[in-house]
Amino acid sequence: MPELIAVRGLRKQFPNVLAVAGVDLTVNAGEVFGLLGPNGAGKTTTLEMIEGLTRPDAGEITIAGLTWERNATEIRARIGVQLQATSLYNKITPREALNLFGSYYPKRRGTEELLELVQLKDKADAYHVTLSGGQAQRLALALALVNDPDVVFLDEPTAGLDPQGRRSLWEVVRAMKGEGRTVVLTTHYMDEAEALCDRLAILDHGQILRSGTPAELIAGLGIPSVVELTFDGPAPDPADFAARLGSAVDARGDVWEIPTPDPKTMLPRLFTAIESAHLEYNQVHVRRATLEDVFLQLTGRSLRD
Amino acid sequence: MNLPNPFKLLALQFRSEWRLYARDRGAMFWTFAFPLLMLFGFGLILRSGGPQTLTLVRVAPPRETARDVAFVKALQDSKLKVLTLTPSDAKQRWEKGETTVQLESAGDGYRLKLNSYLLAQGQVVAQAASQAFLIAQSRLNGMPEPKRIPYVIESPGHARSDNYAAFLVPGLIGLNLLSMGLFTVGMVTVSYREKGKFRRLAVTPLPKWVFLLGQILQRVTVVLVQTLLLLLAARFGFQITNQGSYLVFGALVIFGTAAFLAMGFALSSTASTVETYGAISNLAFFPMMLLSGVYFRIDGAPQWLQKAIFILPLAPFLRMLRAVFNDGGSLAGETIGLAIIVGWTIVCFAIAVKRFRWV
Repeated sequence: MPELIAVRGLRKQFPNVLAVAGVDLTVNAGEVFGLLGPNGAGKTTTLEMIEGLTRPDAGEITIAGLTWERNATEIRARIGVQLQATSLYNKITPREALNLFGSYYPKRRGTEELLELVQLKDKADAYHVTLSGGQAQRLALALALVNDPDVVFLDEPTAGLDPQGRRSLWEVVRAMKGEGRTVVLTTHYMDEAEALCDRLAILDHGQILRSGTPAELIAGLGIPSVVELTFDGPAPDPADFAARLGSAVDARGDVWEIPTPDPKTMLPRLFTAIESAHLEYNQVHVRRATLEDVFLQLTGRSLRD
Repeated sequence: MNLPNPFKLLALQFRSEWRLYARDRGAMFWTFAFPLLMLFGFGLILRSGGPQTLTLVRVAPPRETARDVAFVKALQDSKLKVLTLTPSDAKQRWEKGETTVQLESAGDGYRLKLNSYLLAQGQVVAQAASQAFLIAQSRLNGMPEPKRIPYVIESPGHARSDNYAAFLVPGLIGLNLLSMGLFTVGMVTVSYREKGKFRRLAVTPLPKWVFLLGQILQRVTVVLVQTLLLLLAARFGFQITNQGSYLVFGALVIFGTAAFLAMGFALSSTASTVETYGAISNLAFFPMMLLSGVYFRIDGAPQWLQKAIFILPLAPFLRMLRAVFNDGGSLAGETIGLAIIVGWTIVCFAIAVKRFRWV
């Protein structure tokens, strides 16, 4: 797939924090690319520099061979953007907003088609201020598509949505990909990143820790499975037990997590150790490793922390 | 790449701004009805009853003779208002200093008593009374009436200067401009920036000047409509019309609009939240509104205060607007006032251009 967006050495210093500390990434045409990281990792700043909203201190950005220095208007005409918070006039209706924003572009999609796509037909003539959070979010998404963009940037598109709202938004993102658009999104939900993204970059403290397909990232862990032992109440200190088991044990809340490349041999050893330690536990689970584990291994912290 | 024609976009933006503005009933009320309510409210309460008349206090004689009746008739024909009071009432009024001229019977004739404090007015009344006396005499004797020289009372400038509404109209026009600049432009700009409305626009290819100019044009048309409404209300509610050139009047309104628009944009760059801006704009708004002579003259204020407030744009603006609207004058002698307005426009515009932020 041809490279559509190339970012090299991107940096941004805010008065009291180095928000982005040298980011390189490439996004290929037609893929869904995710920036995954906890709040404050620099995802939004990185995205806003690519969108031309924030001027980088250093670094290069090219989008379809165009640069912000020379082709700003042309880039703006070809990208669609959903900001983290989209603020519109209180008393504009979705139909009017789509017509108004559509008028700014050389190429535009039909208002009715977009209203249909984001399921806002029955709210088409309601004032923006009366829309629910999910409806406003869907309108923001429709506005990002109003110019039939080649690239769509979505900043935390599912933040604040209920599970059903998130699913339907995922469907819209998949539909965008189906139409051949390139999508770049930020998220701090690892399930979202895993479900939507062809490739992703894990960001923390303004730097990319790893990037690749979700499968590559998880495979890179070398620990395809995690055995979880849950307790009633807070998990006890696992140090003695880890020594007895001869394997690393991480305590997280009321759970011990034991990463293992091979659950088949781990489980008998685990039960032997439990028996000899007279350990009182609640349940045992075996699950596949996730992006959460990748993040945990890379930073020693959970995404949600 | 064929971007849409910016002038077409400007027209769309302007139309959209107006449509959204019209949906905000509260804003509409404050903008259009409030100045009219002020004008009718204060204009009617403080109205002094049309053109001034000269009043003559007549001490009622013990018995009205035919000559007395003829004299009173002749006085009234001379457009003098004759107020006949009992001797004690007349004495009381005289002692309060409210009487300009008092007409008393003296022997078989009359005597005029003139208030020394109001000598200028009193002399006019006395002369008119003397004329009326001659006329009354002639009428009683069946002789031809002597020719009377008619008079009108008019101040050189303020054709209806005794009408408070006439003073208020330019004041309200100025106040509209001030609140347009500080609130609808400055406040809205800060709020759009704070809420991120500008950010959403900044990722579209809409040229920024189109958006700003669309907003400015909408605000300017609002001010023009407000001014027109006030002029119409003054004309049909109070018979007050512009005494000067409409061209000069219009030019002044445009100068003022530019100054207060620039001031709003400049002030908007000083605050990042609506709360901060509210404090800053009130700090600018209230002294100007209260001290610049919107509602009342500030002639009584200390000289230093009058000089200080004249440095701010509203006071000189109102003085010039009144010089034209009320006095029918030109701007020939108003170089300093004009310089202050233009100076504010340039300084604020420079600050706005240098410091204006979209995000």
